[in-house]
Amino acid sequence: MAASLVRFVRGGLGRSYNLARSSCLLQQQSRLQSSTTETSPTIRPKDAVTHSQLAAFGEYVAEMMPKYIQQVQVSCYNELEVMIHPDGVIPVLTFLRDHTNTQFRNMIDLTAVDVPSRQNRFEIVYHLLSLRYNSRVRIKTYTDELSPVDSAVPVHMAANWYEREVWDMYGVFFANHPDLRRILTDYGFEGHPFRKDFPLSGYVEVRYDDEVKRVVAEPVELSQEFRKFDLNTPWEVFPAYREPKEAAPKLEAGDVAPEAPK
Amino acid sequence: MAGLLKKTTGLVGLAVSHNPHERLRILYSKILASLQTMPQDAAYRKYTEQLVSERFNHVKAEADVEKLEKKINCGQIEEVIFQAECELALSRKMSEWKPWEPLTEEPPPNQWKWPV
Amino acid sequence: MASAAATRAAAGASKVVKPLFSRDLDEAKRRARDLYRAWYREVPTTVATFQLDINTRQGRDKVREMFDRNKHVTDPRVVDMLVIKGKLELQETIHVWKQKTHIMRYFHETEEPRATDFLSKFYGGHDP
Repeated sequence: MAASLVRFVRGGLGRSYNLARSSCLLQQQSRLQSSTTETSPTIRPKDAVTHSQLAAFGEYVAEMMPKYIQQVQVSCYNELEVMIHPDGVIPVLTFLRDHTNTQFRNMIDLTAVDVPSRQNRFEIVYHLLSLRYNSRVRIKTYTDELSPVDSAVPVHMAANWYEREVWDMYGVFFANHPDLRRILTDYGFEGHPFRKDFPLSGYVEVRYDDEVKRVVAEPVELSQEFRKFDLNTPWEVFPAYREPKEAAPKLEAGDVAPEAPK
Repeated sequence: MAGLLKKTTGLVGLAVSHNPHERLRILYSKILASLQTMPQDAAYRKYTEQLVSERFNHVKAEADVEKLEKKINCGQIEEVIFQAECELALSRKMSEWKPWEPLTEEPPPNQWKWPV
Repeated sequence: MASAAATRAAAGASKVVKPLFSRDLDEAKRRARDLYRAWYREVPTTVATFQLDINTRQGRDKVREMFDRNKHVTDPRVVDMLVIKGKLELQETIHVWKQKTHIMRYFHETEEPRATDFLSKFYGGHDP
């Protein structure tokens, strides 16, 4: 049953791709009218089949590893997201790589998100791809400035430079990383530029000094205070994520989101 | 014997297997033995036992490699062997990690709330 | 899973946190001292390879000043993080990935002290 389930996911994803490729406006509209009440062509059509398949697959993964998986959800763009405890990085990634029904053997991306208002301000995000089943999954975990996260390099070699980037840009320490050092910033650079509390203008500016015959760095001095600009865009940034009117039902660990947040 | 005539799998680093049935039989029985050490109600054991014994039965029943590949429907027989090797390694690690236990720690409140 | 074991070992009376390396302050202090020694030994080589216009004494004073700047830190995790960053800097220095300009940045030679009194600010032209 399990095998058929995942293959089901594969078939479903393939189907959705075919749809996207072959769809002209007319087809789409007729499909929309038949399935939902929305008629505007700009609204992304809902693909309930893929959605439910991904949800079922997410439930399968959560059932396998209840120790580490805190929450599973399928986003409104049909992306499967698995939220895990930071201790479970290696087990969950290894499971997804080695299990016959998952085979997420490729690490596509690893990055972090900084949300300073949270208790654990950094979210670490892993994107995995399964070539066998043509499917993708997103793993999320969390940490703060001083808690180390287990390095994913023993599981995915591709994580090496990504983790160096996250270390350089956010200052998240990866335990057991073979070669953790800066990758993007200049030698002697201080601070982590992608943190939200890093000023837009940086801390130092460099110039060539004729007296000492070398490039010198000095604290930045701006005639205008860059940091006081109002950087909010006038547009609504997350139109797909409007606050729901009624509170969403609380999700238990291993539970599947019944509906994507709209 | 299609297996003997086969020159290459067409995949880098994956050599042609000359006795896939033997190899799979060993691997699958090892996986099943490794699963025996896990608790009866662990989801991993349940689903993996189901999956492995299904494939094991195919291997036992079907002598022809090409037909076997069709029945298993997960790529060439060498890939199936590779999957079995991975599964075996995973099952051994799993009994160390014990992921069927209850959740170690609840996430802090509002950790997964988006938008913040 | 050594880190998990370490966490359990570090479970003290207060809140349990995952340590970076050191389980208590003494261990962290030892790491900091090791780093200081490594820097201390490295200074003469650095001065020679980068052909700096300072002597070893000045370099060592600067190292000491940089360590003293963080002497108020008592959280072992913060100490560990600073030690990690210091080690990386040392590695960059030893392998000569840095250049002269990066080393001399520690000395802030060209920076003029910020004006504090009203008149100097006025002469400086702007008041940020």
